Amino acid sequence: MHATIQKPIEEIVSFIKPGEKVFVVGCNNCAWKCHSGGEDETQKMAERLIRRGINVVGYTVPGPQGMSLCKLSNTRQVLQEDYKQEVSEADSFLVLACGQGVHTVIDATDGALVHPGCDTIFGGETVSDNEIEEFCSLCGECIIEYTGGLCPMTLCAKQLLNGPCGGAENGHCEVDEERPCGWIMIYERLKQLGRLELIEDYQSPKNNAKWSRPRSLRVSPNEATFCSIAGRITVSNQD
Amino acid sequence: MKLTTLFNEDIFVVTGEVGPIKGALSRDKSKVPQCVKEAELLKDYVHAVNVTDNQSAVMRLGSMFASVGLKNRGIEPIYQLTCRDRNRIALQSDLLTAYSFGIDNVLLLTGDHIQLGDHKEAKPVFDLDSVQLIKMARKLVEGYDLTGNRLENGIDMALGAVVNPNFEPLELQLLKMKKKVDAGAEFFQTQAVYDEAVLERCINLASKFNRPIQLGVVVLKSPQMGNFMNKNVSGITVPQEWIDQIGSVDKADRKKKAAEMMGRFIAKVKHLVQGVHIMPLGWADIVPEILQYAEIEVKKAA
Repeated sequence: MHATIQKPIEEIVSFIKPGEKVFVVGCNNCAWKCHSGGEDETQKMAERLIRRGINVVGYTVPGPQGMSLCKLSNTRQVLQEDYKQEVSEADSFLVLACGQGVHTVIDATDGALVHPGCDTIFGGETVSDNEIEEFCSLCGECIIEYTGGLCPMTLCAKQLLNGPCGGAENGHCEVDEERPCGWIMIYERLKQLGRLELIEDYQSPKNNAKWSRPRSLRVSPNEATFCSIAGRITVSNQD
Repeated sequence: MKLTTLFNEDIFVVTGEVGPIKGALSRDKSKVPQCVKEAELLKDYVHAVNVTDNQSAVMRLGSMFASVGLKNRGIEPIYQLTCRDRNRIALQSDLLTAYSFGIDNVLLLTGDHIQLGDHKEAKPVFDLDSVQLIKMARKLVEGYDLTGNRLENGIDMALGAVVNPNFEPLELQLLKMKKKVDAGAEFFQTQAVYDEAVLERCINLASKFNRPIQLGVVVLKSPQMGNFMNKNVSGITVPQEWIDQIGSVDKADRKKKAAEMMGRFIAKVKHLVQGVHIMPLGWADIVPEILQYAEIEVKKAA
């Protein structure tokens, strides 16, 4: 999931020009889980803007629950058909979702003016209703087979691939005494799994070309093509 | 001269350390920068002097320039190079440049995290880790760059690395040390150690790697410094008895006391290691006395 937090209301208000008519859009998946752009927050945002004298022409959170705003076909149908009248009046769209969702609204409205209502902070695991934690940095080159499933690109502050630096104390990272050392976590997990020898494998420098932006993926039922400046990589999911 | 030459002659290798100044060199040549003054004090008592690379992630004068400055004054530098601020292109280019300037020794490190320094919002690079950096430097020695392109001239430098005997679990730190050895590290300097048992435990496990190890010592100048290091300096533990001991004398007598404490400790443990790396943190003037207490005579190469 993409974790998001709402921008301060003063910042959001500063985006909107006097007289600008705004339509507010939320997301029924990740932003809903983050309480940054679900149904409640989107309705409240419309009310908060109105209280500040902003002309809100409508709001919606494309459903059903669990539906991502970044699914373009659904968002396009909701905005262009279900809310056709309100959307046609709007000068701009305030999007309470991640950056992908903001772009989806640009596509769904054929290029309307959008305002981000959130900061997109990371991709994470929904550990509980109240907690989202980051375990993957989306680097495009997964080495967690060798680290017990724990990603050093994410859990190590220096993104070291071949073991810890010398800075940890009492099991904690040198950048923050509250934060466990990612490599000690990896070591303890591999030890527990009886696979400590995996740490001895040399890990080559990352191919950062796979981490270039923007990247794209073309998919079909049988194969997928990942495009980055490292080139086009096509993989099959068949024998 | 490469430090490996000294180790190969079974010479107990003594090194010091200076940190480049926070600022540029004055155009007024009569103004000698502090790091040069300190290095001059060390000159006759050590084989070489480490030059730190934006130590603790605090932005300073470059370690390469400062290393060249020492070399020009007849002081052998150990150029420190970290992964924090440079990608693999810059790291290789800097190694080629350093060698071209006449630098023979390099200490290859991960580097302290940016959060420890004075530019906390900077982008941490860490394109390579220290193991990858050592392996890459080895390729430069062999005449190739990281991607296998032939170099017009390779580098002929002694490749140093670090190990932290204070690290828990030690087994994990030594797994990393083994990777550094396999990657091509030729000598090691330890993080500051104040405890004989901690050093002995590490050396016993590390001796199988068959690489010379220099004991790292940071001169303890005051009880406040001991408490500060315990709280703020990653990877160092100063035992309470050391803090109490330096605190037991008046401020005016602390240099003398520090020289005695450091020297006696080195004397006690020097049989475990192939050299000592003294980090005087501004008290370079007491290094001769430390070595006297440690009963170390600095032998030059044959």
